[in-house]
Amino acid sequence: MNAVSRRAVLARTAGSIILSALPFAAGAAEGLGKPGAPVEIRIMANEAFANSWQNQLVPEFNKQFPHVKVTIDGVPYAELLPKMMLDAINAAPEYDVLLIDDPWVPQLASVGGLMDLKGKAVAAFTKPDYDWADFNAAPLAAGEWKGMQYAVPVRSNMLLMFYNRTLYKKAGLPEPTPELTWDQFFDQAKSLIQDTNGDGKVDAWAVDTYFVRDSLTPTIWQAILESNGGKLLDANGKPAFNDEIGARSLEMHRDLAKYAPPGALGHGFSESLQAFRQGQVATMFTWGSVYKATAVDTKTTTLKEEEVGIQVMPVGKARAGTHRGIWNAGISSKTDSLEAAWAFVQWLSSKEGEQINAALAGSFPARKSTLASKPNEAWLEPVYKTLQHSYQLASEGEMWRIRSPKSNAAQQVLADEVARALAGQASAKDALQTAADKIASTLK
Amino acid sequence: MHATVSAARGQSKKRQVRWESFFDLLTRWSFLMPTILVLTVTLAYPIFYTIEISFAEFDMSSFGAGEWVGWSNYREVIGDYRFWESLKVTLVYLAIALPLQITLGFAIAFLINAEWWGRGITRALFIIPMVVAPVVAGGMWRMILDPLWGLMNYALQSIGIGPLDWFGDPDLAMAAIIIIDTWRWTPFIVLIATAALLALPKDIFDAAKIDGAGCWSTLWSVALPLLVPIITATFVIRWLGAVKMFDIVLAATYGGPGKATNVVNLFIYEEAFRSLRFAESSAMAVIVLVLTMVLTGIFLRGSRKLEERF
Repeated sequence: MNAVSRRAVLARTAGSIILSALPFAAGAAEGLGKPGAPVEIRIMANEAFANSWQNQLVPEFNKQFPHVKVTIDGVPYAELLPKMMLDAINAAPEYDVLLIDDPWVPQLASVGGLMDLKGKAVAAFTKPDYDWADFNAAPLAAGEWKGMQYAVPVRSNMLLMFYNRTLYKKAGLPEPTPELTWDQFFDQAKSLIQDTNGDGKVDAWAVDTYFVRDSLTPTIWQAILESNGGKLLDANGKPAFNDEIGARSLEMHRDLAKYAPPGALGHGFSESLQAFRQGQVATMFTWGSVYKATAVDTKTTTLKEEEVGIQVMPVGKARAGTHRGIWNAGISSKTDSLEAAWAFVQWLSSKEGEQINAALAGSFPARKSTLASKPNEAWLEPVYKTLQHSYQLASEGEMWRIRSPKSNAAQQVLADEVARALAGQASAKDALQTAADKIASTLK
Repeated sequence: MHATVSAARGQSKKRQVRWESFFDLLTRWSFLMPTILVLTVTLAYPIFYTIEISFAEFDMSSFGAGEWVGWSNYREVIGDYRFWESLKVTLVYLAIALPLQITLGFAIAFLINAEWWGRGITRALFIIPMVVAPVVAGGMWRMILDPLWGLMNYALQSIGIGPLDWFGDPDLAMAAIIIIDTWRWTPFIVLIATAALLALPKDIFDAAKIDGAGCWSTLWSVALPLLVPIITATFVIRWLGAVKMFDIVLAATYGGPGKATNVVNLFIYEEAFRSLRFAESSAMAVIVLVLTMVLTGIFLRGSRKLEERF
């Protein structure tokens, strides 16, 4: 009798525990899907990496979350922001997660398109071990706007200096170090224009970077400006670049073209990358994320890993130069699949996700712990060291583009005026004054 | 009695005629309606939408016209030197590219029209540039005109010219755009001109030959006057195409160096889709639309005058 009643009590207790747990279990299964009924999330991303993420990262994510079906749609960079804006303001947006470029967060946040990732709704699904403090300040700040965290860094990028050790050696110059100043760089540049095969014709030049009329070309001038102690905007958000430092920095950008290959005024991201990978230029100022395809991947480069050095841009009057360019993941404020969307974003921005992303897709991490750890691939070691250095510099010098819902309009004005100065159609001083007037009225 | 009957018959006939004419009108309109509807949706609506936005503040949260701001966007655009610069660049491009393409097109058509070996193949080859996508054409010509590795500089250097910095020098960059555009669109003019030449009455040329007219006087005094309506119509058609051009610039020079090739449509595109200044860019689009309409009207009137004269 005693045994029966004990069994009955145990059975009843077990039954009531199972029954009481059921609603939670059902809720959890719904949020992250269940066998036969997966949850679907759609992500809008830059077509440059959407496909590789779909093929390489999503299967890794699905090892932990097998019932979340992730679809990443690639959109050409030039159309990405308008498409994101259109989707974000839609009453029923198609996309749950948006992969947003550095200056776009304020624009998407200002139309109410993004969810506050530190807000209550998202916090309910945030893992206890998700360490916000582990992010470097500079990349995390890219996803912030007016005190809210609308996005987290998932593909960090910084403007860095790449150099070709073989061409430096041939010119009889010492290998650059992060202490290299702009003055030293320009002194050495003359020797880096050389005839490497002895046929009497110059076939290698000192530098290539952005000179073309493009919205990213001003980032080079801005990196020089901030390395010289200048600022884009003052504390009141008014243009502060139209001064002596600004003009001198723009002249330095123009002087770089003197040591670049013929036709460099038409060079931007692709052309400078091509010139560097073919061993035509000794240095290149571009985004660090191209390192793997420039130094490691034999399908895309003629250079060998040991030939390519990477460091921050030369030191100006105040500090070394760099510029932030972070791809952030934000969640649509109207998503129906918040738990699954945040699970994907959390996984991707976790230390584990960052390591997988770096090893498989060559994306750079933003977490201090990831950068301090030994990477899975040997080529990542010098890159991690340089990245950590550049994050600190970016934080100190606020080396990023204008943070405003109208940042694109301001950046286009800068692109127009920097291009005029580089082409010699206006003096550096006049071009910057025009840009300052126009930007002041744009940001009003 | 008879009068009453015939009056009634007359009235019934009138009613029948009226009904028939009404039915005829109804039939005509029913055929026209689908076209009118399609045109209204595809042409008129976007134009009116653009005009509406140009007089309003653009509301990003609804992606449409917000508060009415009157002429404010137009004042902003008129005060923007970049708009005027881009108009100037467009005018330079049009002033050189259009006459060049028309002259080349008709000259090539004259050559093709003559009997010579390989004429058929040449005619077929002429169509190729027209079917190449502008982005591909721009990219391909970037390679041809590359200062270091390009075929063009290689050829020019063999005759002692250059090397030329096609995309670094503002004047050469404009020349590059005109070369690419001419390469793409001259075949279109060649096709029209060839068809026009084939349609010319042969007896007039025979009469000119009997009268002892040489090649030059036949061309100048017979062929050209007969071709004036076609030349003017081709000019207007090509003008309407050329004034919209921006794809080749986007693919080849990005509007640079500096602002040397920043045509007005590229500027409008950038202001709208890169700067997200949809209201201001709509105002620019409306100004360009009005300017284009006025100039097209002038060209049409001029072409009518020329036709009357010849």
